[in-house]
Amino acid sequence: MALLELMLALAPAPAAAPPPLQDPPKEEVVEEKPAPEKAPAKEKEAPAEAAPAEASPYLAIVGGEIHTVGDGVIARGTVLCKDGRILKVGSKVRVPEGATVIDAAGMKVYPGLVAVNSSGIVQGRGDAVADDYDPFALNVDLGLAGGLTAVQSGGAVAKLVRHSIDDVVLAQADWVTLSYSTSSPRGRRELRDKLDRARDYLRQQRAFEAAKQAGEEDAVEPDKKGVDDRSMKLLQGQAVARFNANNTKDLLSVCELIEDYPMEAVIFGGQEAWTVAPQLSRSGARLVLTPRAKSWADEELNRPNGWSIENARILWQHGIEFAIVPGQSYISTGGIAGRDLLTLPMEVAFAIRGGLPQDAALRSITIDAARILGVADRVGSIEPGKDADLIVCDGDLFDYRSFVQWAVVNGDLAYDKQKSPYFAHIRPRPEPTPAEVIEAVIEGVQAQKDEGVTGEGAEGAEPEAEAAGSGGGGQR
Amino acid sequence: MPAAAALLLLAAPLLAPQEADQSAPKGRATVYRVDLIETLDGDPIKNGFVIVRDGLIEKIGQALVLPEGARVRDLRGSGSTITPPLALSHANFLVRSSRGGGLNGRFRAVDSLWLEPEQLHELLELGVLVAGVDPPGDGVPGRSSVISTDGGTPAPEPLVEDLHLSFQMMGSTRSAKDLLRKAIADAEKAIEGEDKAREAWQKARKEWEEKQKAKAEEAKKSAEGGKDGAGGGKAAQDPPKPAEKGKDDGKKPEEQEPPKEFEAPKIDPNLMPVVEWLRKERVVQVSFDKPAAWLHWLDLLGDRDLAWEAVLALPRWGGFAGNFHEVKDSIAAAGVRVYLPASLPDLPYTRIASHPAAELHAAGVEIVLTPPRADLEGVRSLRLGLADLVREGLDRRTAIEAVTLRPAAAMGQEELVQALKPGAPATFILLDGDFLNPVAEVQLVLRDGKVLYDRAKEEEDK
Repeated sequence: MALLELMLALAPAPAAAPPPLQDPPKEEVVEEKPAPEKAPAKEKEAPAEAAPAEASPYLAIVGGEIHTVGDGVIARGTVLCKDGRILKVGSKVRVPEGATVIDAAGMKVYPGLVAVNSSGIVQGRGDAVADDYDPFALNVDLGLAGGLTAVQSGGAVAKLVRHSIDDVVLAQADWVTLSYSTSSPRGRRELRDKLDRARDYLRQQRAFEAAKQAGEEDAVEPDKKGVDDRSMKLLQGQAVARFNANNTKDLLSVCELIEDYPMEAVIFGGQEAWTVAPQLSRSGARLVLTPRAKSWADEELNRPNGWSIENARILWQHGIEFAIVPGQSYISTGGIAGRDLLTLPMEVAFAIRGGLPQDAALRSITIDAARILGVADRVGSIEPGKDADLIVCDGDLFDYRSFVQWAVVNGDLAYDKQKSPYFAHIRPRPEPTPAEVIEAVIEGVQAQKDEGVTGEGAEGAEPEAEAAGSGGGGQR
Repeated sequence: MPAAAALLLLAAPLLAPQEADQSAPKGRATVYRVDLIETLDGDPIKNGFVIVRDGLIEKIGQALVLPEGARVRDLRGSGSTITPPLALSHANFLVRSSRGGGLNGRFRAVDSLWLEPEQLHELLELGVLVAGVDPPGDGVPGRSSVISTDGGTPAPEPLVEDLHLSFQMMGSTRSAKDLLRKAIADAEKAIEGEDKAREAWQKARKEWEEKQKAKAEEAKKSAEGGKDGAGGGKAAQDPPKPAEKGKDDGKKPEEQEPPKEFEAPKIDPNLMPVVEWLRKERVVQVSFDKPAAWLHWLDLLGDRDLAWEAVLALPRWGGFAGNFHEVKDSIAAAGVRVYLPASLPDLPYTRIASHPAAELHAAGVEIVLTPPRADLEGVRSLRLGLADLVREGLDRRTAIEAVTLRPAAAMGQEELVQALKPGAPATFILLDGDFLNPVAEVQLVLRDGKVLYDRAKEEEDK
């Protein structure tokens, strides 16, 4: 809400767009010259132009406040997508004729949210997820309504694609769950033994390879017997270790383990992580937090312990990367708000309440979550080249009143609240009044004049798109 | 009303004997008079007549001259209707003993018939003349069959024993895809194997024939001059290799002749129908329980250009998925015949009704309607289901055709169930009310002019 107030304060007049709210490098994003897309698009897309019945490959979200995550906030900009990818992001982006246009004026555009863990939204495990995927399942629809566009389930990262079963699986999340709790000394010993054997084997294997290279004929290949494949994968960086650890002791022991056996690690839980933030930071482990998951402090312990609402804020201050998940991994219309994936941002709002900056909070369910899942090159932020997975909210993402109005997955309009049988009736989206439409058209024409755009580019563009694309145009 | 018809109207009661239409002797006409005739061949005829003679419809219309000596059955006044009889596809309550999942292509539905006493007769009473049955089970359960409801019990003579191969894309799409993927791959391998075997046989046969020819020429030459010796010796040495391994019975190697007719390698009978489908020799009917299954099927099918039909089926558990409209465009683009239940299913997890039949019809899809429930009760409520569909926007004629002409044609019974017009077989049903009035009952079922069922007579007998 503070953000909104700031925006209003900075905005000189409703017609003139406010300057960017943060991150000056945004300039780079809007580098494109006016209408660079138009001409090549016409040439390239000649068949599409010739047959207007064919759907345009373009989808544009215009006029919204774009939270790019990677590159700050654009007060009133356009995200142009083509063939499932984000093509352009900025305040001066031209929208090609025939593009599907989502008018996001007055709304906020975010990258699609990423759930590090989920259950019941997609079925199956690993490779089977694609063949089991149901794009029309209730839970996929609810996931989109909750702003999710990618979820990890059964070891695969799946896109919540609607209308199709193409390009569903983003990646296989090759996680190895390790048990390293202080409550099980035997389990700890066994794990260390396994890792030792794997490390020794890898060492011997490397020596053997080197000897072979050096031409030593009597080099003996090491015996692989009793060596755990998964442990080797972990030590070679081919898999990620997943730990469940909440209390200080367990967290510290995980830190020790990954110090002894360097590997990529994700710790789920971390309720007392704030008490050992420096150690965690040094270990390089990432965390998956649930801000409201509670463990009460033991007053008899002569050190900080128990859960803290400031947990995420403290970890953020120590530069620790984390994702946030709600208390339950399923999705449901029958749960308590913020407790399951239908209202993931509400769980995150509690981290904000504990002092986590809003942009860091957004990262925890977009780019940082994507990074933990190894899919940050595809999703998690709004930048050209990335998958066109976006959501448009009618208010601040972390405001309990906000609804996702539209969700776009792989450039396809996957969810429209107005058409949802579950949510359409709740505070229906107001249709723009005729006055608003006229104003938008006039604004668009004015913007064209201001920018000195003439010829095809100016004529071809959609009025709404023009209006939206004009935001900030006069300022530059 | 024309004068002739008016005259007839007066004369009719006098002419109509009590035992009207029992097996009309040759040459004698029977006239059926009803409030409405749904000919399905042009517009419906109000207050019309059908004149039946020698098993055929002689005349049909509004104003007719009553043939001399004709028997008249007059049912006007109650909204009575004549239509072609019902053809029921997917009457799967008539089959039992599912074989579970797996590849069971060799089974035919007709072998799994499980008829309760009187079941076929009740179907006849409901106006059903033809019933299609699917092999029970998941995966590839076998091939469908078609039976006639007047074919006798307990083992009615099937009209078609082997209609279409059935694929079930039900339940887990992954399991279904895994099974079908493997079946298709195996069938493709079998075809490839057969092609190779045929090629080898052709080659061997050709070589052998050439050698025989050469031999004959040698023999001829040696008979003529007897000088040239080398060639003859060579020809005798090279026996042709037979295409089929182990098929030739103990002849001397030099004498081995490749079989005259090609003998194809044996193919698993469960796989054979899949092979036939891939060779474009048969149609596959794919059942779907949800729109996702449709997409997965298309994914599996790839760009193969093969004959198939779609059954939007009632899932075994829970109601019909009301969201097939989600893939409406894709269904229309596939250009296949679609079977679906005559009901207005709710959108999943809501009480919002959807109308896939009307939506698919509007999208240009040929629809065939099946009973809203997979049992006899479903057949009893079939016309009620149709009435719902029509009330909510499906075209009346389309609805009636979708349970008569279209399913009949889909089952290869277009000769049996036809639109009503002069010259067509007198095969129709007569109801004492409108076709879409669920309270109306079938009074008469005729096949080629012969009365198969007469409610009045049956009640009299009781």
